[in-house]
Amino acid sequence: MAVVEVEDLRRVYRSRTSTFKRGLKEVEALRGVSFSIEQGELFGLLGPNGAGKTTTIKILTTLLLPTSGRARVLGLDPATQHRELRSRIGYVFGGDRGLYDRLSGLDNLKFFADVYRVPIREKSHRIEELLDTVGLRGRERERVETYSRGMRQRLHIARGLLHDPELLFFDEPTIGLDPVGARELRQTVAGLREAGKTILLTTHYMFEADELCGRVAVIAGGRIVAQGKPSELKAAVSEGTVVEIETYGVDESRLDRLRALDGVKSVSTETRDQAQVVIVQATAGASLVQPVLAALDGVTIGKVVSREPTLEDAYVELVREA
Amino acid sequence: MIRVFVTGVRLQLLQLMRSGFDISAMLVWPIILASIAFYLLDAKESPRLLFAAALGTAVMMMWAQVIVGAGGSLDNQRIFGTLELLVAAPVPLVATIGPIMIGAGAFGVYGLVVTLLWGRLLFGIPITIDNWAAFAVALPSCVIAIGLLGLIAASTFVLYRSAFALGIAMQYPVWIVCGLLFPLSLLPSWVGPISWVLAPTWGFRAIREAALGGSAWSSIGMCWVVSIAYLAISLVCLTYFERLARARASFRLA
Repeated sequence: MAVVEVEDLRRVYRSRTSTFKRGLKEVEALRGVSFSIEQGELFGLLGPNGAGKTTTIKILTTLLLPTSGRARVLGLDPATQHRELRSRIGYVFGGDRGLYDRLSGLDNLKFFADVYRVPIREKSHRIEELLDTVGLRGRERERVETYSRGMRQRLHIARGLLHDPELLFFDEPTIGLDPVGARELRQTVAGLREAGKTILLTTHYMFEADELCGRVAVIAGGRIVAQGKPSELKAAVSEGTVVEIETYGVDESRLDRLRALDGVKSVSTETRDQAQVVIVQATAGASLVQPVLAALDGVTIGKVVSREPTLEDAYVELVREA
Repeated sequence: MIRVFVTGVRLQLLQLMRSGFDISAMLVWPIILASIAFYLLDAKESPRLLFAAALGTAVMMMWAQVIVGAGGSLDNQRIFGTLELLVAAPVPLVATIGPIMIGAGAFGVYGLVVTLLWGRLLFGIPITIDNWAAFAVALPSCVIAIGLLGLIAASTFVLYRSAFALGIAMQYPVWIVCGLLFPLSLLPSWVGPISWVLAPTWGFRAIREAALGGSAWSSIGMCWVVSIAYLAISLVCLTYFERLARARASFRLA
């Protein structure tokens, strides 16, 4: 049974171009998004910044109205049945926002327990249980402003779970966390999935989606460009190889020269420490290491690695094509 | 709803009491405002008038705390991302924003105590309460009425990011129109009807009449009449502005 159904969802943001002039600027954040999430599924929505992930989540959590299209969450319309829906869903977002810093973690949870209508008899027990679940036991009476980012994020999760929602929305929950904090948080999310919760997770970390999600949808420019199991998306680019070349200062003309080579599907760059890594995706059967190195003649080269494509490569290719 | 309201007021007070800025403002402002009232009235020889001026100063503090303090608090909630969580909650918005306003008004009671203490210490104002029972009812009635007037303004803060600036601008006109700085009889007659629909007018009258003698209960009754009207207006405004804010995406700063 589908818990979330989204059909041709569109959202346009309108803002004034100037305080004194009449002009309106329109940004089309969603351009006909469609997907569905089944009961007990952990569904990932992947996309770069500005792709439309948060807009989608805000429409589904009743915070935004769509410009057009249809959405059903737990059988309810988030645009018109928001009062009924809000008590059945939980919303957790990443970053430092969304907590009362001058209050203790415990006071934050007590307040939100009342706001989310947790019965008074269950309130204390529920808070105690969640403090254990997210590992904040012993620190709950300290002010939130003294918490580390990881602790704040765990408090966010506890807040989102207070009313035991059937469906959880996680909007980039590991953003800004250190590797250990992010791993702990992923374990918590995996635990919730095992407990039978239905979860919609947005992220731009591919390994996170690969590790956690049963199905993913890639969103770019307000459109879903691919969806399926992570293995299916990887399979779409699994034919072929990826060559990574560590360079120190490569210009756009040399990248164009690489793109023009026979057998090259795509070329991208990313910065790792001091180096600029050129990532070349090749079609099946193409042997590209020598021609690529020849095209980069004159550039200082470090390590060269040839490997199988990953979900991240699939994602980069999908986003680039969009 | 009542539980959410009580917890909300408690937490708002806790937050204000942990803010160095709000606490220091509460200590300094009463001196400035009491001094203005003292010299403006030129009433060194009339202890009752001085006491009335001190009470007026305290009500000014309450209104300032609601319109500036709570308005700022709401603006901060937007910046810190808690406003959208309040909106996404299953309880109506009035149950989560109302306590911010009432809590700020209640924090103004602290201003009243400080004002009266400063008035006693600096200007020798005698503190005598004529009718303690009426005073005990007048004070919370005044806090609630002023808080609910702030709630109407708050409904616009939810929608318009710049509404807080307009709220600050509303601080001084309300002080003058409600007779907190000087008697209404000094103002043109057309100001009278405006003052009748504003909570600080009745709140101040109720507190002043309870402290200095007069028909405090009728003013307390008027406090409740305007409070009920404000609550009804706020409910309509919050529902309408919440819908507009969801359409315009104005819960969070871009």
